[in-house]
Amino acid sequence: MSRAGRPDAETKLRGAVEFGTDLAVPGMRWGVLVLAPAAHGRIRRVDLSAARALPSVVAIGADDVGPLVGGAKGDPDRPPFPSREIVYRSQPIAAVAAPSLAAAREAAKAVRVEVDAEPAVADLERLFPEWPGPQARASPQVAAHVLAHRGNVDRALAEAETVVAETYRTAGIHQVALEPHACVAEVTGDRWTVRTSTQSPFGVREDVASILGIPEASIDVEGTWVGGGFGGKGASMLEPYALLLARAAGAPVRLALTYREEFLLGRSTLPAVVRLETGVRSGRIVARRVRLLLDVGTSLPGRDFATGYAIGFLLGPYRTDAFEVEGFAVRTNKPPFGPHRAPLAPQAAFVAESHLAAVARAVGQDPEAFRADHLWADGSTTPLGQRVGPFGLAAALAGARARAAAWRAELPAGHGVGIGLGFWSTGTGAGGEARLRLDDRELVVEQGEREIGSGSVLIGLAEVAARRTGLPRERIRVNYLGTATAPFDAGVFGSRTVGALGRAVDDAAGSLLADLGRRMGEVGPVTLALEGDGLVARGPGVTRPLAELLTPHERATGGLRAAGRHYGVAGEIDASRVVEGGFYAYHDFTGAAHVAEVDVDPSTGGVQVVRYAAFQDVGAVLDRPAAQAQVEGGVVMGLGTALTEEAVWSDDGRLTNPGLLDYRIPRMPDVPPIEVVFVEGYPGAGPFGAKGLGEPPIIPVPATVAAAIEDATGAHLTELPLSPERLARALKAGRPSRSADAARRR
Amino acid sequence: MSAAPPSIGVNGRPVALEEVPGDERLLDTLRWRLGLRGTKEGCRTGECGACTVLVNGEGRLSCLALAHELEGTEVTTVEALHQDPVGRAVQEAFAEEAALQCGYCTPGFVVALTGLLRGDGPPRPTPELLAALGGNLCRCTGYASIARAVERARTRLR
Amino acid sequence: MAAYVLVAPASESEALAELAAAPEGTIAVLAGGSDLLLDLEEGLRAPRRVVSLRRLPWRRHRWLSGGLEIGSTEPLADLEADPELAARCPALAQAIAAVGSPALRRQATVGGNLGRAAPASDLIPVLLALDAEVELVSGSGTRSLGLDRFLRASRVTALAPTELIRSVRCPEVRTRSAYLWQRVRPSNDISQIGVAVAWSPGERRWRVSLGGSPPRPVLAEDAAAELAGPNPGETELARASERLAAHPALVTDRRASDEHRRRLAGTLLDRAVRATMAPGRPAP
Repeated sequence: MSRAGRPDAETKLRGAVEFGTDLAVPGMRWGVLVLAPAAHGRIRRVDLSAARALPSVVAIGADDVGPLVGGAKGDPDRPPFPSREIVYRSQPIAAVAAPSLAAAREAAKAVRVEVDAEPAVADLERLFPEWPGPQARASPQVAAHVLAHRGNVDRALAEAETVVAETYRTAGIHQVALEPHACVAEVTGDRWTVRTSTQSPFGVREDVASILGIPEASIDVEGTWVGGGFGGKGASMLEPYALLLARAAGAPVRLALTYREEFLLGRSTLPAVVRLETGVRSGRIVARRVRLLLDVGTSLPGRDFATGYAIGFLLGPYRTDAFEVEGFAVRTNKPPFGPHRAPLAPQAAFVAESHLAAVARAVGQDPEAFRADHLWADGSTTPLGQRVGPFGLAAALAGARARAAAWRAELPAGHGVGIGLGFWSTGTGAGGEARLRLDDRELVVEQGEREIGSGSVLIGLAEVAARRTGLPRERIRVNYLGTATAPFDAGVFGSRTVGALGRAVDDAAGSLLADLGRRMGEVGPVTLALEGDGLVARGPGVTRPLAELLTPHERATGGLRAAGRHYGVAGEIDASRVVEGGFYAYHDFTGAAHVAEVDVDPSTGGVQVVRYAAFQDVGAVLDRPAAQAQVEGGVVMGLGTALTEEAVWSDDGRLTNPGLLDYRIPRMPDVPPIEVVFVEGYPGAGPFGAKGLGEPPIIPVPATVAAAIEDATGAHLTELPLSPERLARALKAGRPSRSADAARRR
Repeated sequence: MSAAPPSIGVNGRPVALEEVPGDERLLDTLRWRLGLRGTKEGCRTGECGACTVLVNGEGRLSCLALAHELEGTEVTTVEALHQDPVGRAVQEAFAEEAALQCGYCTPGFVVALTGLLRGDGPPRPTPELLAALGGNLCRCTGYASIARAVERARTRLR
Repeated sequence: MAAYVLVAPASESEALAELAAAPEGTIAVLAGGSDLLLDLEEGLRAPRRVVSLRRLPWRRHRWLSGGLEIGSTEPLADLEADPELAARCPALAQAIAAVGSPALRRQATVGGNLGRAAPASDLIPVLLALDAEVELVSGSGTRSLGLDRFLRASRVTALAPTELIRSVRCPEVRTRSAYLWQRVRPSNDISQIGVAVAWSPGERRWRVSLGGSPPRPVLAEDAAAELAGPNPGETELARASERLAAHPALVTDRRASDEHRRRLAGTLLDRAVRATMAPGRPAP
């Protein structure tokens, strides 16, 4: 096979990499979870006796956890199994393991569960048909309340010439990593070992320790290749169960979800309702009020991460004087809200962009020009008082507007072109460490993250080391180590890998070169190079084979070593603007402006995206093919959020579409050609000015598609997904939608 | 009943079916009986294509086929794909275009495309090939690099 | 231990004997398996014995004088590969192309699709519009049933527990036929609605059918009647579309509202009939 653009291409193309689902060890038992039969209820009895009577079966429930962990006390707020109350349908209430999967399934069926079902809360708006008032903060159904403001919004709205008020609704969606969660656990003495498909081996170790109450030092987590994560594999899910089963069985236990279970148990983005009011005077936004009702499932009070985090995206990357944002995290009988490639940010961008377009139209302005006029620039201040650093969104928007103009010049009938904007914080705040090892053949990066597909580990870290040292990437190998031996890193999420772990690699490379410089007699800046088949170090006017620079001990023990670390400084928000609750401080601002052309069939509501262009602020491109692939993949994932993806729950809390037939992600024939344009020159905090690219490309997509549909049809849709039925209904209603915004003019 | 003991061929080797329970899917036979775990289990409901194998040279979903139902056929999995000139060309095209990210859908894609490009006559037009790959889901790449690899493989085999 | 015993009888009579010998509810018939295996995986069915039809000589189709006979176990892909199909029964070719992926169609069969009788079947509306007859065989002989009578409700048919579907016969080639569907996602999705139209040169009338709306695909006689002759004009088309949009079979379920289905039914009928009259199409 010819040289791969990706170091993992050949093994993956031969099916030779081992994912979590591929793990198998001799003597392994197969685990199955027993799932709650109701969304809410009191457990009367979980009877494991019939399951235990089956040959070679172990079965465990809430009462068994304590003895299995030697009486250790895990986090009382999140026991592996509930002992009294079931809070969501399919919540694990027991687990079994048997010598075969079929036997384990039989055993799971033999577990008798008696539950007194209680009314379930499945829908935000049934719980709060009217917007919750201040007294709702004390409701047990509210996990968090956040409120921030600046200036007098009521007065500014009253003085505005035009106020536009709208309500938006967005759907719950799922990550749909192709590989279901899977792990194999083994317990020997006091060593608790789990091999698992995860975006964060250290995060899993911390979670397992907390849930089971055993010390982190007793737990080894080894990551496998990851068949897609998208946030869904960022925290522990199956590992505590697999470890408990392995302890009970005295044998290794494999535990994997079926794809149906993947949907039923998945922790993902849940529905939201947003109300906005925007006041304009003399063509300028003078006041904004945004209120968010967010379904957080069974997130625990104090553990909701989503509300204060997502709400900042609802104001968009725009300058605002007076504002007020308020969010309620509403508990429903669903699995807890979980991380999901920019959780709620694409939905928030859809709301923010569509609303500002409505505002612009209400005051007779062009929506694109109106947004451009209010856009953050370098040095702007966010509503919560953070200063915006080098920010390429205005440049991206300029590119997008030029592309949109070109497409509009040749637009067929029935087509429309729209632009959507989004921003992200590329999350260099979470820390990480890396080690380097250099001999005369290669440079090895030793670190604790598995490649999840984006290329951020295998390509990104290697490229950072290559740029810093001067070595070609072919002589740089990125090695994965388990938690037992790896230096700490927070995880592959939040577009942070290159930005933070990459900085640790850069730091280590700097130390390595400095060390070599000292050995060469402080000749000046040192780089590495390949000469013939061996590595050399070069200073000004000096070239020394590495073999000569290493001590005999180093040569005998794998080479010269260096360590690096990067713990970013958390961003700060202006506390005087926060009334209540935790808001998320952004770190490294990045933005994107996207353009879509759609072909709308007004009779059926069918939408085909015929072409797409993404103008993406990336700071600096480290590896163009990998960066481009991240944008292409993010755009298509966003097209699913925009058009087809929706998790649907029944009134009694049952997910009605737990499968890939009725949960529709884009397929090959559905996707348009995608042009990717990188906006460079607005450096971020990552190495060489790089900004992350995991989340940013997905964020503007639903907004962009909605704008294109509105351009084609005049329909101003306020609900995601933008399904054919919703669009056809809007068009049928003949609503001249653009003027239907609840605008009042004075 | 045929006289010879029932079997299937897997990557050129006969696999006796006598030991295989009647309810076992080909996917499970491959992955857990034969240890050929390059064929991936995704949805197990025929929606994702990750489990695609060649049966007598044509793409089939191994999650929806009982092993016994394929008695007498020749099954090719991703592990042996490089032995087929078309399969090798497809793998090379995917490598050159870096048409993969996490790699979980990758075996299914390269096997399915190999099935579509095998046989006599000129390769089908690219849009037809892309439409025919609609049964293979990928969540990482947005299909863009895969489409480029399809075009590259097709051109090479023309 | 296997959940069930799989048997593959070598002849029709052996297969029928299997069915006759099994207590009701304990046996399942396996044609291609693309539906049955889903039910087995989900535990929706738990037979003790599964009878595979793979050895029966039914995996083929043949063109009869003016008509088409499809063996019940022929994979859709084999039928699709016959270049005559798109010329002689375009609607059927279009419906087959709408079923899953090529890999799935190498497994899925016409007989399995009919036996399943899913409300959203893409094949059934077309076979209704082609006036297909289902040939059923049991130990006591064979019988032939019009497809409309064969279908009872969602996933319920007239098939007796001791019977097998041997073949499906379309009495007449209908070159002027078309099938159109609408889905949330165009590719590999379930049709929210499917509309099939076919002009019968023998009977000199249109057949119109509707699928996608539960409980079962239906013929729409009154919409067909509005189309009158072989080349309906704008008025006839508008009336037929209106009739179809008002069809009582269009209901709300989780995949679409009746309102949306009505909108789609009229639109798709109009487009389907026009497609059959497009230039280059064979004259009636």
